[in-house]
Amino acid sequence: MTLHRTLHAAAATAIGILSPLLLPVSASALAGEMPYADGMPNDTLREVVVTATGTQHLLRDVPVQTEVITRSQLEAFGGRSIEDILSGLTSSFAFSQGDMGSQMQLGGLGNSYILILIDGKRIHGDVGGENDLGVIDPHNIERIEIVKGAQSALYGSDAMAGVINIITKKRTDKGFFAENTTRYGMHNDLRQHNSVILSSGKFASQTNFQMQRSDGWQNTSEEFAEGMVLTDSKKKTSNAFRNWQIAERLTYKPSGRTELYAEGSYYKKNICRPRNGTHPSCDVYTYDLRYNNASASAGAKIYLADESAGTQRSYISLDADWDKHAYYYDYTAGTYESILLKGEEFGQLDGEWYPVLMKPGQSRLQSDQQRVMTQLKGIFYLPAQNTLNAGAEYRYDYLRAPERTENGSADDWTAAVYIQDEFDRLEWLNLTAGLRLVENVNFGVRLTPKASAMFSAGDFRFRLGWSQGFKTPTVKELHYRYLHVMGSTSFFNIGNTSLNPQTSNYYSANIEYRGRRFTASVTGYLNKLDNMIALVNVPVGEIPAGITSAYLGDGSGAVQARMYKNMDDARTCGLDVTLSYKVTKELTLSSAYSYLDTEANLYDVSKDKMTAVTIDGTAHHKWSASATYNHSFGKLYKLGVGLSTRGSSTRYYQNNGNGKPFQIWRINTTHNFGRAGKPLAYRLEVGVDNIFNYVDRTMHPYHLGTNTSGTTVHGTFSITFNYGKRLQKHKTSTKVKTNYEES
Amino acid sequence: MKNLKTILKAAFALCIAAPLFSSCGNDEDTITYQNITSEYTINDEMVANQKKASKKDVAVLLVAFGSTWNNAFNAFDATKAAYEAAFPEADVYFSFSSDICINRASAGENTDDEGNIVKRDYYEPRYLLHAIGAAKYSKIYVQSLQVIPGEEFSAVVASVKKFMNNGYVTSAHLDDQYLAELSENKAIYLGLPLLNDPNTDVPAVANQLDTLYSTEASQGVVAFMGHGNPDTYDTFKANVRYQQLESALQAINPNYYVGTVDMENNFKEDVLSRMQSNGYTSGKIYLHALMSIAGDHAHNDMAGAGEDYWDASDEESGDNSWYEYFNHKQYEAVVPTSNNHPLGLLELEGIRNIWISHTRNAEPLEDAYHSMYPEE
Repeated sequence: MTLHRTLHAAAATAIGILSPLLLPVSASALAGEMPYADGMPNDTLREVVVTATGTQHLLRDVPVQTEVITRSQLEAFGGRSIEDILSGLTSSFAFSQGDMGSQMQLGGLGNSYILILIDGKRIHGDVGGENDLGVIDPHNIERIEIVKGAQSALYGSDAMAGVINIITKKRTDKGFFAENTTRYGMHNDLRQHNSVILSSGKFASQTNFQMQRSDGWQNTSEEFAEGMVLTDSKKKTSNAFRNWQIAERLTYKPSGRTELYAEGSYYKKNICRPRNGTHPSCDVYTYDLRYNNASASAGAKIYLADESAGTQRSYISLDADWDKHAYYYDYTAGTYESILLKGEEFGQLDGEWYPVLMKPGQSRLQSDQQRVMTQLKGIFYLPAQNTLNAGAEYRYDYLRAPERTENGSADDWTAAVYIQDEFDRLEWLNLTAGLRLVENVNFGVRLTPKASAMFSAGDFRFRLGWSQGFKTPTVKELHYRYLHVMGSTSFFNIGNTSLNPQTSNYYSANIEYRGRRFTASVTGYLNKLDNMIALVNVPVGEIPAGITSAYLGDGSGAVQARMYKNMDDARTCGLDVTLSYKVTKELTLSSAYSYLDTEANLYDVSKDKMTAVTIDGTAHHKWSASATYNHSFGKLYKLGVGLSTRGSSTRYYQNNGNGKPFQIWRINTTHNFGRAGKPLAYRLEVGVDNIFNYVDRTMHPYHLGTNTSGTTVHGTFSITFNYGKRLQKHKTSTKVKTNYEES
Repeated sequence: MKNLKTILKAAFALCIAAPLFSSCGNDEDTITYQNITSEYTINDEMVANQKKASKKDVAVLLVAFGSTWNNAFNAFDATKAAYEAAFPEADVYFSFSSDICINRASAGENTDDEGNIVKRDYYEPRYLLHAIGAAKYSKIYVQSLQVIPGEEFSAVVASVKKFMNNGYVTSAHLDDQYLAELSENKAIYLGLPLLNDPNTDVPAVANQLDTLYSTEASQGVVAFMGHGNPDTYDTFKANVRYQQLESALQAINPNYYVGTVDMENNFKEDVLSRMQSNGYTSGKIYLHALMSIAGDHAHNDMAGAGEDYWDASDEESGDNSWYEYFNHKQYEAVVPTSNNHPLGLLELEGIRNIWISHTRNAEPLEDAYHSMYPEE
């Protein structure tokens, strides 16, 4: 008890010290205590996570340091998008908004090093190194788990920065459930989530429909282009877009031992760019961008014991997935395109690059990425507290890009087998070791080991981790090539078939205290990468013959040729600190802080020497903090108030200036109406983001610290209808399913 | 592992075969084909109307790479007018070989000196050449407005060869008999770039430049900034012309230098190094564009002034302008302008006349025609 009191006092002091910077504190990775409709408190002590090992663990006992954003945090925060959520509720991520999607960074490393999973499955498709995170419905998230470094043998050794696992909402009870959530905010920003679930016990159907749209915004009309500062640029800070997605999942449980499922989805996104500009080199666009995604998957899970065996049931599962991510230009004005003609009807022009005037209303495919994955895995609970996790995976990637690959298409396959054992015989020690053997069609076989150890002493945990990463060049890095017009600068980016795989060694050490009211965690890590692949400037002569003249940029201006090359090495190291203190049953303070230092040794072609640089987009200090307050007024109404802040120090870039430091404040209120156990429940959220109207008005194309538009007001209305067997609402994450439950 | 892989492959093949390679390729090819033929039609009609109105039977097609600068548009207009004066018997057509320049000129790039947005529609040489053939001009000159016989010029040559070989989509072939006659009559001419011949063109251009800039050369260094060519196996290796021009100029006055933006070992720092080894370590340096028009390179890479054009941590960066670079190297850089713009070579009458003489003295293209019906 004395220790607890001391810790509480220490917690109050620590948060107090951080307060000038952080207070009132946001939603860090931990805590965030919102009561549910049934009045049960949530508690991270009872949070179960799965990402790091593939098996369920209480968060406090997970052998590999895992950061969690809980359902209650998500609800208290009222986020607009996954970018909004990740940057607001952790201090680990940094985002830059691109034309095509989000440039994301985790621990200083960008999109291609971050594995984003939805329920354990990789999201698919990238454009220009950016992922379109619109496929993730922010209102359909149960929780988010983040594991840094290539720590997990299960999900691929290419996740050198880490894994983000988005766990979606699921309901397993019989009956009918329907939900509609509509969020509306300034800039005509609409997000809608609809879910209909029908379950008869053996058979269940879940249908989700989401749509998102925004008019975008413009923080500045200044743009440096054509050697002068334009003051009437129409370029937006964030482009207008609209998307929608429909997904269906059918599950069938013929017996207590077998589960079968099939699911499919379709997604479409239109990104609309300004048409009223007057400077074609930077703010006039003659085409919009469009994505069309589709997916289909099916699988089975067979338990090796009856349900009576409890939560430790060994099982084998087989999954097969197909995903497609197609990227189009939708022309809005006449545009000459250099097109590779193929077909007898083109006569002598067959096989030539030819200028073709594309007309408004017409579309043209830029790239179509398709992927097929099959995965066979099993979890076996063995004697002597060993848990064996073994699996095999086969992945086939196919890229069709008529104008952007030499032969119109390219493909690649990777196979992997992995094995991981958790040894938990001793109360004070958990050892987890894994091996992943990867075979790639172009790059042969590679074995990557991972090991972690967790020592327990009362409420303290000490974790050590080491993992090797191995990332073969992607099909795009090998074969893709295209002209990238960025304002008045044009780049011709070229794939390189001579690339070598990237490798990494990740070391981490963590100490954590997780008591009933106070939690604290400090993690230090070092990630060393060899053969890191980056786009570097090369002479124009390296642009493939035959297409140079078509692509020599905007006329009198030059095009800068860039090619993917293996750099010598890079390292990132950092320190993550999270604190959470439950002051009273109704008030919780949380904060998170990340220190990051990066260095990459790049080969400077023009000077023929190595230079050490900070990895683009990294900031030394990032933080977030929140205070959440909840109170019930009778049985029918519950109020939640969340005040939060997030910030970053200067973000460093080699070109186009550094991003300014910033700090942003936000308040969100939640209002739950309805009696627990009744079919109908309502929820209202009203919030103000960026309360003090911070706007970075740095001119285009220089880097922004944050692209927030200034103060915005948003409101969300959610109605749920739940008919059938009474459900323990939103309790999935708190169900204790393992033997790891605290005694 | 192999067996496992086979099983997994079979599993996914069964599950997924149907939708995998769903393709919209055929639709896209159809649209592409239709767009090409409709663009032929538009060009054909424009040229037919021009020929009908002028009643001329000779066509001159000028092919520039293109630009998006209004002062460059003016230079192109003046060039076209000069050609019309020099070839009164001909219809003169002007084209851009750069798709992006056409797109941006059409969308309204930049403004004129009064701040008004200028939108210009330019033609594409391959479509225009089709139209000239469809209109059956009895004599055709195709003149490259490139400075050196490099990659861009090779594209002009390729488009003329394609024209003579009736290299068009199947439904848009020209009258093959007409092309045969054009060849037999030696009536298809290819005008060569400004610095095509090292023995005649290079000294002629050097003399013209000296005529214009001898006063500057007497007061300091005069440095010309050319573009540079990707001298690869597939393109003409034309960078040597810059060195030849520098030699020719220095034979007249050692204060002349010729550097480039893109030629290996002939960047601004190489020009500086040559100047220093010749003992010229300070003083005035006059900067001129050795490009057909003054566009981005001339305005930014050469004449750009201010902190956006100078990064002291990387002095030789391609983003540092010549103006800032030489100013920071103890010289006094001067960019002579006309109406606030540096001048391109097409704006120098003496130089432009060398291009016109290339057209006038062009040799007919030999062996360009090959019947598309070789068996006949």
